[in-house]
Amino acid sequence: MTDKAFSLELAAGQDGVPHLRLRGSVLLAEGSLLWSELHRELQGKDRRGMVELDLSGVERLDGGAAALLHAIARQHGEQGGALRFLGASRDTARLLDLYACTDRSDCERPAPQQPGLLNDVGNFAHDAGQSTRAILAFTGDLVHGLVQAIRRPRSVHLSDLGRLVERAGADGMPIVALINFLVGAVLGLQGAMQLHRFGGDPFLANLVGLSVVREFGPLMTAILVAGRSGAGYAAELGTMTVNEEVDALRTLGQDPQRFLVFPRVLALLLVVPVLTLLADLAGVLGGLVVAVVYLEQPSIVYIQALQRALDFADIGTGLLKCVAFAVATGLVACQRGLSTRGGAAGVGNATTSAVVSVLFTLVVIDAIFTNVFSLLDW
Amino acid sequence: MARVLSVRDVAIGYGDEVLLDELSFDVQRGEVFAILGGSGCGKSTLLRTLIGLQPPLQGRVHFTGIGPPARAMEPPAFGVLFQSSALFGSSTLLQNVMLPLQKWTRLPADAVAAVALARLRILGLERFAHHLPSEVSGGMRKRAGIARALALDPPILFFDEPSAGLDPVTSADLDEVILLLARDLGVTIVLVTHELPSILHVADQCIMLDRAAGGIIARGAPRELAERSADARVQGFFRRQATNARGGHGA
Repeated sequence: MTDKAFSLELAAGQDGVPHLRLRGSVLLAEGSLLWSELHRELQGKDRRGMVELDLSGVERLDGGAAALLHAIARQHGEQGGALRFLGASRDTARLLDLYACTDRSDCERPAPQQPGLLNDVGNFAHDAGQSTRAILAFTGDLVHGLVQAIRRPRSVHLSDLGRLVERAGADGMPIVALINFLVGAVLGLQGAMQLHRFGGDPFLANLVGLSVVREFGPLMTAILVAGRSGAGYAAELGTMTVNEEVDALRTLGQDPQRFLVFPRVLALLLVVPVLTLLADLAGVLGGLVVAVVYLEQPSIVYIQALQRALDFADIGTGLLKCVAFAVATGLVACQRGLSTRGGAAGVGNATTSAVVSVLFTLVVIDAIFTNVFSLLDW
Repeated sequence: MARVLSVRDVAIGYGDEVLLDELSFDVQRGEVFAILGGSGCGKSTLLRTLIGLQPPLQGRVHFTGIGPPARAMEPPAFGVLFQSSALFGSSTLLQNVMLPLQKWTRLPADAVAAVALARLRILGLERFAHHLPSEVSGGMRKRAGIARALALDPPILFFDEPSAGLDPVTSADLDEVILLLARDLGVTIVLVTHELPSILHVADQCIMLDRAAGGIIARGAPRELAERSADARVQGFFRRQATNARGGHGA
């Protein structure tokens, strides 16, 4: 037994038409019971055709239950039957009328279109074209903005620069130092294990130093900056875009490039080289710890080997790379943010797209630089 | 009529700052009750307190017969239309309306969809059921927000500035929706607004808040207040006259 507020029973009908009687309070709160009981009753052998539903005993009906009654009637109709409502009070009838379908097509749940493979390919090509066009337009705006900024330096909005430098630089220092220390230590440990087998312990400093300063320091720093600042810029500018703040800037005669993009790119240009030098230092320190602890090498031996292995050109190549990384991170992240469409989901997509695009760009730039440096024998 | 909401000696504000104090009023079942006042007078803060999003600094909000607000284990006793509609942007209008039904009923999926679509239908949105909120107009978003608020047939609906950002025709359409909900579905509606045509058209009772006075300065049927109140601030509001824009209300 249930203590539900409604009852449904089969009563004697006229002319052989099955007659169901619904009584009590029929509310959405008990909609699942109503749905299952009414469906069960309509599955009976003699109830496949016309069935009458007597509503004279219904004391209270809410909108959700009225919608359910109509949905059940429609499903019964689709199976070749018919469910007729009888005896409804004025209030019940008014509610049923409100939820009734005047246009049958309106009452069938419109099925969302399932795109096929061809559709997906078309959408991808269209999106790629749009994205390329947006990047070209952004680059054009950027060049125009850069010319204007050079002609009128005061038109660049630099009041946020201090805050941006602090967020991208000072706030990022601990994590950059920690990650690069660990990378240096892992690299040192892997290298030490191999070098030790061939008596090459003295070359650990060369391995760690060159790898960190020329490659891992700049790249790991750029990846961390992309994850922290790049994602932050994309989300911030994306939110501003969907909130129409960027449009508001344009109507105020402000160029979003000079107001929003340049300060961010400039902030990264200022902080990424500093962070890279910190990363280089932390990385070689990680190698030093491995040399001292694992190879039991005196620290002075490691440091002297490092001095012999590294020259300013090595540090310079890393710094050259990191400048390019900083510009790419700032521009790509800001472009993704400013091209955000939609609401919260659009901001999420823009942020994800910014991080993925920046990481891809960093690796491509790194490959190009490494190739060029090897050709120049730097 | 039976009382469904009673507010007693409520003070609202932020931290130590009291915006409004000694707020006491009742809302009767089936009526459209408007909370009026100028911008920044604390209307929306009072609404947040009524729906349990912000505790009162003192006093009591009581829903008669339908339990306290925002109890985690029971379906909400009321529906809310937020000023921005607050639809989930990554979900279609239908999915937005289905959300509370999926959470609080044990209906099978096709029944949930049927009820949600019926809610959209009575608000004239069934053809846009599979559109995202960003793909429909502001007025449609408001109506979809109402459909979602109505999903579980709550006895009370709270509307925060329903006409905000809408053109007069769309705003008038929304007024008709409010009347439909109140007259045909018997829903009690608490409405925060400062739209005069709306107030005079749909509201049965109202209170008027005033920041400078720190509380309620008038209560009653809007038309009576508009025609008979001797208070200059009330008259100023209904006649759209500035009282003392630079220095606050001078009464």
